[in-house]
Amino acid sequence: MATTATERPTTLRLAGRGLMWVWLLLGLFPLFFMVVTSLKPEGAARTRPVQWFFMPTLENYANVLSGGAGTSVGFDRLLFNSAAVTLGSTILTVAVALPAAYALSQPTFRARKRLSSWILSTYMFPPIVAVIPVFILAGQVGLIDTYPVLIVPYAAFNLPIAVWILRSTIQQIPYELQEAAMMDGASRFTVMRQIIWPLVVPAVATASILSAVLSWNEFLFSLSLTRAAAKTSPVGIQEFTGMFGTQWGSLTAGGTLIVAPILVLTLILRRRIVSGLTFGAVK
Amino acid sequence: MTSLPGGRETAPGEGGRRTRDHARRSNTASPRRRGFGQGLPWLLMVPALVVLLLMTIFPAAYLLWASLHGGTLLGGNGQFVGLQNYVDVLTSVDRLKGFALILVFVVVAVSIQTALGLALAVPLSAQTRSSNIATTIALVPFAVTPVVSALVFRELFNPNYGWVGYFMGLVGLPDDIAWLSSTPLAWVLLIGIDVWQWTPFVALILMAGLKSVPQEPVEAAAIDGASGWQIFRYVKLPMILPFMAIAVVLRTIQAFKTFDSFKVLTNGGPGTSTEIINLEIYRVALQSFRIGAASAIAIVFLILLLTLVPLLLRAVGRGTDEEGV
Amino acid sequence: MSTKQTTPRHRRDLFIASATAVASVALVACTPSVEGGGTGDGADAEAPEKLNVLYATAEANAAAVQAILPQFEAATGIELVLDTQPYDALQQRVFAEFASNSTFYDIVIVDTPWAPALVDRLEPLGEYLEDESLNDLADADIGDYIPKVLYDTAVYDAGNPVARFPDTAAPGDVGAIKGEGFDVYGLPLQANALVMAYRKDLFEDPAQQAAYREQYGTDLKVPATLEEYAQVARFFTQPDKNLYGTTVMAGVGDWATDDFKSLLAAYGGNGTLVGDELSLDFNSPEGVEALTYYRDLIASGAVPPGSTSASWDEAAASFGGGLTAMTMNYHQVQLDEGVDGEIGFAPVPQGVTSGPHFGTWMLSLNANGQNKAWAYRAAAWLTASDQQLAMTENQLHPSRTSVYDEVSGENAEEGPTTEFYDVLGQSLAQGQGRARLTNYMEVSQAIAVAVNRAASGVVEPAEALAEAERNVRTLLEQAGYEVPASS
Repeated sequence: MATTATERPTTLRLAGRGLMWVWLLLGLFPLFFMVVTSLKPEGAARTRPVQWFFMPTLENYANVLSGGAGTSVGFDRLLFNSAAVTLGSTILTVAVALPAAYALSQPTFRARKRLSSWILSTYMFPPIVAVIPVFILAGQVGLIDTYPVLIVPYAAFNLPIAVWILRSTIQQIPYELQEAAMMDGASRFTVMRQIIWPLVVPAVATASILSAVLSWNEFLFSLSLTRAAAKTSPVGIQEFTGMFGTQWGSLTAGGTLIVAPILVLTLILRRRIVSGLTFGAVK
Repeated sequence: MTSLPGGRETAPGEGGRRTRDHARRSNTASPRRRGFGQGLPWLLMVPALVVLLLMTIFPAAYLLWASLHGGTLLGGNGQFVGLQNYVDVLTSVDRLKGFALILVFVVVAVSIQTALGLALAVPLSAQTRSSNIATTIALVPFAVTPVVSALVFRELFNPNYGWVGYFMGLVGLPDDIAWLSSTPLAWVLLIGIDVWQWTPFVALILMAGLKSVPQEPVEAAAIDGASGWQIFRYVKLPMILPFMAIAVVLRTIQAFKTFDSFKVLTNGGPGTSTEIINLEIYRVALQSFRIGAASAIAIVFLILLLTLVPLLLRAVGRGTDEEGV
Repeated sequence: MSTKQTTPRHRRDLFIASATAVASVALVACTPSVEGGGTGDGADAEAPEKLNVLYATAEANAAAVQAILPQFEAATGIELVLDTQPYDALQQRVFAEFASNSTFYDIVIVDTPWAPALVDRLEPLGEYLEDESLNDLADADIGDYIPKVLYDTAVYDAGNPVARFPDTAAPGDVGAIKGEGFDVYGLPLQANALVMAYRKDLFEDPAQQAAYREQYGTDLKVPATLEEYAQVARFFTQPDKNLYGTTVMAGVGDWATDDFKSLLAAYGGNGTLVGDELSLDFNSPEGVEALTYYRDLIASGAVPPGSTSASWDEAAASFGGGLTAMTMNYHQVQLDEGVDGEIGFAPVPQGVTSGPHFGTWMLSLNANGQNKAWAYRAAAWLTASDQQLAMTENQLHPSRTSVYDEVSGENAEEGPTTEFYDVLGQSLAQGQGRARLTNYMEVSQAIAVAVNRAASGVVEPAEALAEAERNVRTLLEQAGYEVPASS
């Protein structure tokens, strides 16, 4: 490794690195607690002092998945709902954001600046405010407890960021390239498919994973707009605390089941997230 | 076919009143294509506009209407009450406190996240073998479902069985601190959980910023004898300010939407000391179903947040759109 | 200049886009909904294939109901489809269903605090109760309900929901109820009352008994009065051995109000918190006494750490984990696996009198429902004596005197379950319900804040209650009540 002036290890830098590792490992502690507790047999979970030696069991997972832990809906169903809603809203987000981003990146489109600003500004619309009218309207038209009643709002929450990421990516594609192709007789759609699409795929991945994380983790809308058929897992896990006390085994097993899929997806796509988080600020 | 060769280079008169960049790109558009160019983009915008109108303009319009009426969910539409609901919000100590609490929460949480995020971003951006692993680990809390982390934190900090108390006991500290029973400690926990979850988000944005800093000015400063700290403070920091602006503004907006952790951890307690306005809106709208009253609170909240829009546009807009917004 | 040129088009296009969106919303909103009512009335109504029931989860013991559903189908050929929801979701569902005049559910479970707001959407059952042909499957016999449970839960004057039937000790009688201008709006099921549970093994431990006698000069026994309760709680408290006297639920929420209103009643105050004439009775000398007792109990250290942020959840977990010698709960609490011990039950200790908090669920008919005659038959069957008795196998809390005679009477076999039912039956007969306010949940929250603040020692009880009175007054006025000036 070339030791340039900027990378000379100084005390400050070493301290910084040390602190970074302390923070990162401490950050894993809640998850460590969750996973360890989920593997404990009943009776060994909630004790003081903490029991470190126990026979690991998957009993909690089996209970939670089969709905045998006394909840109204089994976790198998909840996770399926979460997946369906996440997939639906992510697809909708991208399907709606991509054409919009393309339109907004066209220099000939006169309304692009104001529309871009407006779309971005909708990001500050708080869900707790939006949930009231949606709750009432959806109740009146019988959409409560269906997938669309979650998919559309989630897509709307994700849209500003998705449009912004995709738009700034398309803007970086030289417009001359598109023009040249069109001059050669290519239609707009050919341009979109053959020139824009291949270059925008990584940004689509970024927008998708960011939108999937939000949709998978959302709580408030699901709490208020679903009952049983479309209920998602973040709402279901609440049932493990209640009048009969908190069931640590079920709670942590359920938590692990919720967190695991989205965490794995996030880590697989981490490069896309890191690049996407700068919202195109890196050219 | 109709374009002149090299036409791209000749700026027609209209170019002068557009931004430089815009003129450079678009000046070849023939009148016919420009007409086409307005219709097609609008067509492509329709799905996005429908979704957003459905989820922002419609709710805002409904809330505005509902806030002028005295309705409950069951009481039909209620009577027109003028601005009474707004008077109720603005004269209620508890409501105003709810607004103040979310503001304080946002300011404190985002400040800590920015400071810590910056401290983390520096080692993360170092090109070492371990920084890749570090980046991966840093991303973990970002993906954890907020309601799960809130439930897990609640159990971790349980004074009687929680692991935190157990470990504190091991090192001789009190092992039965009732975190959620004390106002300052409940806030420590609520802000702590937000800092835990979101500091990586800030750190990763700033890391990308630091990595984008070109080598030349850094090396030039080093040759001039600047210390590592001086290079960071006077060369790198100014260059990553746009990144910091993005991080701060996005986090600010997200933090205003916080709900899960307060609902799960404190439910507003002790007393009303963590009763942020978000919880109050939930309570009035979805537990008491006083839609008119809740709508008025919601509209006031919305107006408060609208003041953030220019900041958002400037931060994100400047960072990504050379045309400016 | 360019702005001027583009603006009209911009506006027009934006208008088109908005119009499209608005039209699509309007289209969805106009989808005709089927109006119910009328078609299914009368005993001869054709039996539907199924009836939809909206029900709670563990709070109202869904498992017990689920277990007997097949019998209903076997007897009638009608499938009862039970849709179970946890509390918050259930409440939102119930209100949304009624707000949209939905016909989907035939039978809806209603919790007492929601009833005042909902009562004009519920089918009055007076005529059904009087029609013998509708009581063919099972007799809804309202004279058999524990009177207090019936009147507090189901008997309302829909024109004035805050009012209570005057004689709450008389056995239920439709004629008398209607004669006073009231009606019956549901059939009570799963009657909950606050009941004390204690560790029998600790109370019967000779070493503990000897230590107690040495310390206090009297015998260690299950506390019957609040004074004894505080003393016994302090006696058992040994933090170094991870043992505390009892639990409280002093965290902000309905549970803190429940704790407080039980004490308020015990000190002779109005346990429903707010009187029928909207007198704010919780702020009274009795209220201050009750809250002071509560605060002092907590300050004495006889409750586990974290009690001032505890709810049902933490209280049940503390007792279940063997952390406390006593607790209060609605349910027949259990010890965790790995905790050795035996549980006994007793009524909540009394002060000058007794009025443990109680609240009962009821099965009501959706007034918009399409099969109301059959829905009534099903609700009557589910709440009838035989079915309730069968459901006690799964810990259902019965609402009928005849069922308590079976499960806790002389013929019942001895054991903790019998003891629990015996205590529950007594507690229900003495219980104090909630004020009948359309915004009870908000009022309860305001009082819970006061209880929590006083319990934490932040403010004096008197000050906390005075503050709560101001807040409750505002809340009631905002909800359209005319509250008399405080005396």
